[in-house]
Amino acid sequence: MTDFQQSALQLADKQQAAAWLQPLREQGASKWSAASWPGRKTEAWKYISLAPLQQQNELRWGGEADDSAIDAVEQVELDATCLVFVNGRFNAARSSSLPAGVIRFVDADAAQQDMIQQHLGQVVDSERHLFAALSNAWIEDGILLHVARNQKLEKPLYILNVATPEASAAVASQRLLVVLEEGSEAEVIEHFASDAREQNGFVNSLTEVVVGANARLQHYRINLEEENLLHVGGVHVDLHRDARFHGFTLAQGSRLKRIDYQLNMRGEGAHMDLNGVYLPRNKQVIDYHTNVEHCVPHCTSNEVFRGIIGDSAKAVFNGRIHIHPKAQKTLAELSNKNLLTSRTAEINTKPELEIYADDVRCAHGATIAQLDETSLFYLQSRGISAADATSMLSFGFINELLNQVPEQAIQDYLRPRLASLFGKGDEALGRLSYE
Amino acid sequence: MTEQVESLIKKDYAAGFHSAIESETLPPGLNEDVVRFISAKKEEPEWLLDWRLKAFRAWQEMEEPTWAHVHYPEIDFQTISFYSAPKSMDSKPKSLDEVDPELLATYEKLGIPLHEQEMLAGVAVDAVFDSVSVVTTFREKLYEAGVIFCPISEAVHKYPDLLKKYLGSVVPQKDNYYAALNSAVFSDGSFVYIPKGVRCPMELSTYFRINEMNTGQFERTLIVADEGSYVSYLEGCTAPMRDENQLHAAVVELVALDDAQIKYSTVQNWYPGNAEGKGGIYNFVTKRGIAHTNAKISWTQVETGSAVTWKYPSCILKGDNSVGEFYSVALTNNFQQADTGTKMIHLGKNTRSTIIAKGISAGRSDSAYRGLVRINPGAEGARNYTQCDSLLIGDRCGAHTFPYIESKNPTGVVEHEATTSKVSDDQLFLCQQRGLDAEKAVSMIVNGFCREVFKELPMEFAVEAGKLLEVSLEGSVG
Repeated sequence: MTDFQQSALQLADKQQAAAWLQPLREQGASKWSAASWPGRKTEAWKYISLAPLQQQNELRWGGEADDSAIDAVEQVELDATCLVFVNGRFNAARSSSLPAGVIRFVDADAAQQDMIQQHLGQVVDSERHLFAALSNAWIEDGILLHVARNQKLEKPLYILNVATPEASAAVASQRLLVVLEEGSEAEVIEHFASDAREQNGFVNSLTEVVVGANARLQHYRINLEEENLLHVGGVHVDLHRDARFHGFTLAQGSRLKRIDYQLNMRGEGAHMDLNGVYLPRNKQVIDYHTNVEHCVPHCTSNEVFRGIIGDSAKAVFNGRIHIHPKAQKTLAELSNKNLLTSRTAEINTKPELEIYADDVRCAHGATIAQLDETSLFYLQSRGISAADATSMLSFGFINELLNQVPEQAIQDYLRPRLASLFGKGDEALGRLSYE
Repeated sequence: MTEQVESLIKKDYAAGFHSAIESETLPPGLNEDVVRFISAKKEEPEWLLDWRLKAFRAWQEMEEPTWAHVHYPEIDFQTISFYSAPKSMDSKPKSLDEVDPELLATYEKLGIPLHEQEMLAGVAVDAVFDSVSVVTTFREKLYEAGVIFCPISEAVHKYPDLLKKYLGSVVPQKDNYYAALNSAVFSDGSFVYIPKGVRCPMELSTYFRINEMNTGQFERTLIVADEGSYVSYLEGCTAPMRDENQLHAAVVELVALDDAQIKYSTVQNWYPGNAEGKGGIYNFVTKRGIAHTNAKISWTQVETGSAVTWKYPSCILKGDNSVGEFYSVALTNNFQQADTGTKMIHLGKNTRSTIIAKGISAGRSDSAYRGLVRINPGAEGARNYTQCDSLLIGDRCGAHTFPYIESKNPTGVVEHEATTSKVSDDQLFLCQQRGLDAEKAVSMIVNGFCREVFKELPMEFAVEAGKLLEVSLEGSVG
């Protein structure tokens, strides 16, 4: 066990978790301490180094922050149930009152405890996901979203997780469990943000989702933290018969950001689609790992990830599609496109197919390139400067995915931010973006 | 449909006979003495023995790689004999007339011409039988052109400077587990040197045959194409049918100096094991070429044999404007497993690479493409195109794709595409409706699927490869 593993475990001792959560905590702790620490030869961590994490000696829990930190974060303007966490701690004053079906683990009654116990830690495979084991060991609080049979969640659930830098590096643990019963419907937005200062904390976040038969979840995970935050997160989804999962994710910021998406197609006729965008700059490192397990026949999956990597940043994308022997008639597609915009930027992509059934149609594609010269020339020939043309095309590359986001509020929130990222707020881009 | 497919797949391995040839075979086991014995047997100079021993010591420290998508019981290297040679070769026959007729009969049975017949004047053959080279044809004719084509054991004595300079220069002794093993115990193989500006007048070819029981074959091939030269090289291989697994761990090094071109084609047909997955060759091969300025290296492979294949013919595109190509058809049937692909390492400016990989899986086999495309920071304007297609025949096989794509240069362009499909009922129906029987139809569809690769093969090989595919797939669709 490394020093980091050791001190992370000691942190669990400082919590006051309810007795009913103990079995899962203990199970997580034992898996975490038994796991070998990933190095360069560990396939899942081949391209990124966990050294920044290990340098965080003397781990401690994040503390309260004053409201100015929350005010510093611009929220998505949305008519939603809003829950605010600061450094992993629930902020009741800034949060909406909890509607039926949204429950904090610490407030759960006996029936809700049963439901949490039934699903929590069950969707994620903590053997394969090291930091999920740690998340289990750290369970104290969290949010359960439960939508009953044939119900639709009235307002979207918007969870804002704010990080603030502290005198010495601190740790936050985030946990969300979504249980959609048969025929139900919900929209969930997870927004990870920080105040504008340079960060020094570590966030370990884990979302588990059970989409029941014929149920539908629209899910967003937006990671917009400032420099130097360390974030390891996972979204693990079980889809049952005819279930739908529509996902969108965007990542920016952080010295080390690793996000795993694991989708298990467990019922026939299930469908998932996931669009993702990563935009590392400066010395940021962003690593997306997605894995779609097609366990049963007649399911479809479609993933599109795009990234623009600038400065001395580094991006990793690993998209695995696994078709089990029984999963005949599967349609699975994955596309990953990357733009490298600097001499010191780096991209490592690996789309993987593992197929054990013959009557399937699977395809994946990956490209690494730069902006198309003829497009640049075309714009310049119309009187647009080279710099503007570059930012327009870069923005357009991402905007294609942004346009597909069904929630207008999120489009409106992200578009000016991305526009300013590429175009430093110039007019040409402004026009393009609101077309 | 599956049953019909299976009945078709059950086809004998034509090259599976054993020749009764008296051999001198080293008892099983591997230690420094074995390395020294092999070196002494070949009367090697001191430097080469040291080179081998260095490799052997490195190998002892190394661990067997486990990352490939293949499963096989652990190999006990102490049960393998590392040297075996036909006794009749001890007297070092000077010409074909002195070679044991039984040996010649073996090659004749395999259809490999060792007599320099007028008919097949286009191909020079180096025939390697277990651990020694039996005969090399057309040597004089090649010598006239300045081309050196001889067993590597002979080159050690005749061209020590060339060997010293290039041996291990592309695949170093410690490169990987099996390359280290090969460096320690390599027995024979071919050495080719094409002088400056020479276009090799004929195809060069090496034919490898494993005959003896419980032996491994560890050959080493080194091809050096000097500035502005061109060579096309072919490699073929077979082994008898046996219930035990046999090990084949080869190393191939290609050096293409400025403006040179090397075309390397392989038709790999080692014994794949029987329908129950018993026996067959473990084929763990390291092949790599280094291309200098304006040079081109092209790998073409048709992989139909071996129980387990672990092979990644690679190109290091070191010089500016150098080109790397990889065309591959990997067919697996029954319980075969193949983990094969390529590495294209772009170092020089304007380097280009093309990868076309076709995998066909039938029966209960597994075939995986594993590739690496790396654009280094200095590889200005590098370009790669990769296409991997898999065809599945039957519902109990697997087809996998593991492409690693790494880029550190913003001017590089990399494209990767992979698809998986099966021979569709619609395609079959269309062909059958036009009067073709099911088997012909499948053969046609599969051949069409592989066409891009086959057209890269030299003519004689293309015919052989097409036939091989037909035989291996016979009856696989109904």
